[in-house]
Amino acid sequence: MGVRHIDVGLCNGCGICVDCCPLDVLRMDGASRKAYIKYLRDCQGCFLCQDQCPEDAIHCVALYEKRIPGAW
Amino acid sequence: MPQDITVADIDVLVVGGGLAGVYAAIKAIEAGAGNVVQVDKGQVGKSGCSCFAAGVMHTYFPQEDNLEDRVRRLVRAQGYLAQQDLMASQMEQSWPVTNEMADLGVDFVRTTDGALERRPGRGSYPIISFYGPQLMDAMGKAAARKGVKQVHRVMVTDLLTHDGQVTGAVGFHTRTGDFYVFQAKATVLATGSTWYKGRMPGHRDTTGDGYAAAYRAGAVLSGVENNDAPTNVMPIGRYDIGPGMNKFVGEGGFFINARGERFMERYNPAMKERAGLRFLVYALCMEARQGHTPLFMDMTHLSPEAVGRLKKVLPLAMKMFESVGLVVGDRFVEPVEWMPQAPVGRPGLVVNGDFESTMPGLYAGGEVCAPQAVVTGLSAAATSGAVAGTSAARRARAVKQLPPDSGQLAELKRHTLQPLERTDGIEPDQALLTLQETIVPYEVLLLRHGQRMTRALEQVEDLRDNQIPLLHAYDPHYLRMAHEARNLTLVAELHLRASLMRTESRVELREDYPDQDNENWLKWIKVRNEAGAMKMFTEDVPLERYPLKAERGRSLNHLWQMAEKQGIVTIGEGGVKWA
Repeated sequence: MGVRHIDVGLCNGCGICVDCCPLDVLRMDGASRKAYIKYLRDCQGCFLCQDQCPEDAIHCVALYEKRIPGAW
Repeated sequence: MPQDITVADIDVLVVGGGLAGVYAAIKAIEAGAGNVVQVDKGQVGKSGCSCFAAGVMHTYFPQEDNLEDRVRRLVRAQGYLAQQDLMASQMEQSWPVTNEMADLGVDFVRTTDGALERRPGRGSYPIISFYGPQLMDAMGKAAARKGVKQVHRVMVTDLLTHDGQVTGAVGFHTRTGDFYVFQAKATVLATGSTWYKGRMPGHRDTTGDGYAAAYRAGAVLSGVENNDAPTNVMPIGRYDIGPGMNKFVGEGGFFINARGERFMERYNPAMKERAGLRFLVYALCMEARQGHTPLFMDMTHLSPEAVGRLKKVLPLAMKMFESVGLVVGDRFVEPVEWMPQAPVGRPGLVVNGDFESTMPGLYAGGEVCAPQAVVTGLSAAATSGAVAGTSAARRARAVKQLPPDSGQLAELKRHTLQPLERTDGIEPDQALLTLQETIVPYEVLLLRHGQRMTRALEQVEDLRDNQIPLLHAYDPHYLRMAHEARNLTLVAELHLRASLMRTESRVELREDYPDQDNENWLKWIKVRNEAGAMKMFTEDVPLERYPLKAERGRSLNHLWQMAEKQGIVTIGEGGVKWA
């Protein structure tokens, strides 16, 4: 949910997104030193990674990936 | 290979990385605690609700506001169940705390002459604004500068005890799986509230971990039957957006139903959308009950300047709107679907004026406290966290560290890591979905009836007995999810049991008990774990000691009165009948 894409061409491997993610969705790939989405289904769609990325490499969309029951 | 890691000789251990936790840690250092460790299952300053706190703070301005009136509104909103002395001191302290936060690097929105800018929000008093991630970034860094040792990505699962005193905590690293033991002279819980991982971004990591750990350790909890105020109304129909309610209505957004009616003009002609949060939640529920959904907030009339202000203090929410085409440039292009989020049950720790719990060595700050002690929001998080940190430091000076009980430690370790050891079982997501489908629909814990809550409780008990013991985690990340599902199931059971016990409509509406019963229910419902049994009991609110008195007697709850006047319901034998 939320995070859709990390542009590896723009990612500079700083790790800010990996550190800031409240649900620990993102990880750094050891070989390429680029961030990737590891636990997509736990993303809470808070947009914090997109907001904090210094390279504008992350794209989020405010749509659900999985079913979350609502009030009605 | 995961390791066992012991962090010993801690003066004050703070669990949680939001504003209450950061404030507790800072104040513990300032009060002379030498070794202050702050642990968070995410990253301090980036997790929990504080970072996403909708850009508003309810700060009391001593030169402009009437303190008594502000406290009276808080006490009334809680149906006179508030600890009135704590409400007053939190309100008073919110002013110095706000200024202190500015000194520590928080960029509040200011007027051209440099004063804190106050703008309308919900409620009668204007609010001040900021950008949540900046606020928490500044506060987290301020704590680190003062010498607080911050441990990230470690989830605390349980508390260590010795003869009824809390002597630290255990947990695990959510990436490595290392088992952590924290030995502390004083422990402060600042783990926030819970929203059952409902439909709102920014609140899905607050999963009642502190409530559950404190309950299992034997602390007395209270207040869970009254949904906490931020059982919010959110732009969460089809989209995943929020929070920001205060700012949206403050700028002039208004609700419409499926027929295009601005229904708040009927429900609350004076305040309309700026009515109290509970009023709004119930207005939306009543519209839903009458078949008037979907409901929307219309902001298409907002000026480019207003949208610009929203982008400044709510950049995350506004980017969410943009990502799905609801905001284009400087305009909202269509009304946004809105609904109440999940109910918010706070089985909070019972605390005294020092924010010490019923267990020596255990303190609490922010929304992990019972709702009668701490109102929701950042100013109360900061003021209560500050007192908890100071009190914990005082204890740390006075006591010696007690050694951990090796039997207890082994048992807690086994329990913490068990889902990793199962090779098959139930996925945390599966259990969570069952729980959410039981507890989130509005006719369970918003518009209440004993029969519906009893049915939900049976489902939660089934989950507790038949799914939670079988939770399986592929790796330490899913171990976190397993513990979150387990903790939420416990919170849901407490929420339903206490809600069934309160046979009246005070702050929440029951169809089967529509009266507010000031003869029998000016009481707190409390709960304690007694050798595995959930023991619930009541205690009179000591109104004789408080300045604000409630009128004795029974009367139809004011929201039901409003609904009756509108012809939405009739009240008769056996309770409420919908028209």
